[in-house]
Amino acid sequence: MKKWLKKHSNFNFIIGSVITGVLLLTVLIGIFATPYDTTQMSAADKFAKPSLAHWMGCDNYGRDILSRVMEGMGNTFLIAVLTVLIGTVFGVIIGALCGYFGGLLDDILMRINDVLFSFPSILLALVIISLLGTGRLNVTLALGIAFIPSFARIVRSEVKKQCSLDYVKSAALMGAGHMRIIFVHILPNIMPVLLSSVMIGFNNAVLAEAGLSYLGIGVQPPAASLGRMLSEAQSFLFTAPWYAIFPGLVIVLTVLGFALLAEGTTEEE
Amino acid sequence: MLLTLLAVSFIVFAAFEIIPGDAAVSRLGSNATKESVEALRAQMGLDRPFIVRYLSWLAGFVKGDLGTSYSYNMPVSSMILEKLPITITLTILSMILTIGVSIPLSLLIAKYAGSKFDKISYGTNQFAMAIPSFFLGILMSWFFGMVLKWFSPGGYISYKKNFGGFLGYLILPAIAIAIPKCAMSIKLLRSAILTEAGKDYVRTAYSRGLSTMEVLYRHVLKNAMIPLITFWGMAVADMIAGSIVVEQVFNIPGLGRILLTSISNRDYPVVEAVILLIALVVLIMNLVVDVLYRVVDPRLRKD
Repeated sequence: MKKWLKKHSNFNFIIGSVITGVLLLTVLIGIFATPYDTTQMSAADKFAKPSLAHWMGCDNYGRDILSRVMEGMGNTFLIAVLTVLIGTVFGVIIGALCGYFGGLLDDILMRINDVLFSFPSILLALVIISLLGTGRLNVTLALGIAFIPSFARIVRSEVKKQCSLDYVKSAALMGAGHMRIIFVHILPNIMPVLLSSVMIGFNNAVLAEAGLSYLGIGVQPPAASLGRMLSEAQSFLFTAPWYAIFPGLVIVLTVLGFALLAEGTTEEE
Repeated sequence: MLLTLLAVSFIVFAAFEIIPGDAAVSRLGSNATKESVEALRAQMGLDRPFIVRYLSWLAGFVKGDLGTSYSYNMPVSSMILEKLPITITLTILSMILTIGVSIPLSLLIAKYAGSKFDKISYGTNQFAMAIPSFFLGILMSWFFGMVLKWFSPGGYISYKKNFGGFLGYLILPAIAIAIPKCAMSIKLLRSAILTEAGKDYVRTAYSRGLSTMEVLYRHVLKNAMIPLITFWGMAVADMIAGSIVVEQVFNIPGLGRILLTSISNRDYPVVEAVILLIALVVLIMNLVVDVLYRVVDPRLRKD
């Protein structure tokens, strides 16, 4: 642990983990308790300015923004984690098999993957949502599917690189089966690359989810979501700019924290 | 490339084919009689087998006929053609901003690598990369539109009426799209410049008596641009996607508006056409990147 700490004790890593840690803690607290009920409306608090009672102020229904931000963060984190999970699992399977076996199927899949990869994930998700319909589950699925190509591409090229190395050949000589070679021998060796792309993928997922929710096709009301809050806040920018600023700032901090973490972990290797 | 486009077009068409829901039923409402639905299906050509419809759709696409919108009952091509200049202008503006700002800035930062200025710009860069364009757009329309009152948010000016005013209105959205991309470019370009600057040919160039400016611009920059070409090529597609969201922020009736309304209206011919168009742009950009590689890097021309 000490050695590990020392290894990662660079500036980026520290700042990144502090930001991410605080945000994660807030999300965890938000699961059990928020300062106010997230859907409780109050006419008296309509557009209340940020104060000690309402740290981030109140929205057009007098709902506490901090409480809604906490709930929204939870939604965003959940969607982002599941998205990356779907993308990684399928990306690893497809990428590893294609990279290891090659052949015609690899050619075809990767040709299509090339286009999908350069296709912006938010757009891909938009298409999938137009097929599946809106809602939290569908957004997760859509984003997850949209993230498969980039993971598959990275894993495939890494597996290809590893395949020409001696340890793979000797494992094969020792009689290890294909699946054993792929998942027991090669996969652990590409973990560092995979890990940093998972972190970047998480960030892209947060940004894409926020974008989709902003467009009104992500998380549906009355559930809170950071992107949705931004789009609602836009109509009240003049009277209550804090309504837009705080949810947006939370998105920025989330992405910043993870980007610094990713930077900090790769810097040392 | 053509094969890839064919494969993509097939996937797009097939994907919209397997979703439940009949376009004819949704147009007439669920109370419509069976006969009228059948008649409309025949009129819309929905009663033909899947592969026939795909081929005729594809043939139409090649000829520039993108089909008819379900909800507006007008040709998709004219709908898109009217909105396309808006999104294209926005993308080009953001691209010019990204390239135009990131090259001089990264040269400057690389020149002072390791200094306080370098560190500050690193921090700013990380921050800028984390801001979603649409949030930036909201902040800008609040600050410039409501605090400073430089422009009226939502007061989009059509390019047909007043092209200068149209460009002026697009500047802020373009900046909102460009800033995160610009930050990423600076980060990539800075490290590429520093890698190149440590190479032997730079020392040779200096020993030949060239000035720092000449070395940087004529030798280092040219080599450092190579990894950036890929990034910028992909950034074009990203910017189109980004503009879809940012267009909503600034209330610009571009391609994004069509895509979103047609998605919520289940107007599939329009969605299919827009998607295929963007796929085409992506493929063309891949091709452009390949060609540019050969222009910048003579070593690649041999094979």
